[in-house]
Amino acid sequence: MLVNSRTEDAAPAPHTLDDLLRPLLGRAYGLALRLLRDRADAEDLLQEAALAACRGFGTFRAGTNFKAWFFRILTNCYYDRHRRQRHEGPPVEFDETPELYLYSQMAELGLHQGVADPAQALLDRLDSAQIEAALQGLPREYRMVSTLYFIEDFPYEEIAGILGIPLGTVRSRLHRGRKILQKLLWRVAVERGLVPDRAKEPA
Amino acid sequence: MSAVDRYTCEEVFRRLNDYLDRELSAAEMALVKEHLDTCGQCASEHAFEASVLRELKSKLRRIDLPQSLIDKVAAILAEAGRTNH
Repeated sequence: MLVNSRTEDAAPAPHTLDDLLRPLLGRAYGLALRLLRDRADAEDLLQEAALAACRGFGTFRAGTNFKAWFFRILTNCYYDRHRRQRHEGPPVEFDETPELYLYSQMAELGLHQGVADPAQALLDRLDSAQIEAALQGLPREYRMVSTLYFIEDFPYEEIAGILGIPLGTVRSRLHRGRKILQKLLWRVAVERGLVPDRAKEPA
Repeated sequence: MSAVDRYTCEEVFRRLNDYLDRELSAAEMALVKEHLDTCGQCASEHAFEASVLRELKSKLRRIDLPQSLIDKVAAILAEAGRTNH
């Protein structure tokens, strides 16, 4: 059994890696799957990260954030495998996505009128799978930061630590990721016929 | 708070995401809030973005973990435990 710390007569029980890791496996698998978009690859990555965590558990400091520690190991394993792809830029089609994209699109179509919460009114009509698909459509660097923020609720500083990037880079990727995600969500709404397709309207 | 200290719509607009994410200093948070309390247009944009954020966080689903993977990781941990003894 792996034990991180043990002191005589200490009140809190020491945590084993097993104790700490098991409750996180589902979330770690979710991150791996969102990174790789392939179940078999995500399973391999999680096992590789678990093995790396076993080897490096001595470096984990009790009382610090184990989830952030393990997610850093997982993303490092991911980068080791995909180092060549580390700098994936956004597709050109997203370069000029304006701020407040959903807000502007809905305002231009008058969809704000008479609705207390227009964003909820729109997104309530999309199911989780469709929203997940929009997240999956983000370029990788934006998808990683967005997953860690939207799903795992890490603050910017911890995301910077996990990914080994500056805080300003987290901020800019999340900012850009949000804009692209809103554009992707709007696309889904158009495809489902929830909002009019303005591209098909006569000029 | 004097007029000089107050944020303009543009200054609030640039900080909207950080405000939503509570990633501003306490002083900046207060300045943004003070503006939102008095500017209908910025308040409307903020309410919309806050709602998008809430919806995304609530709808992005947890992914089911295959039992076979739980078993494989358990085996890795058990093996490592044996090796360390």
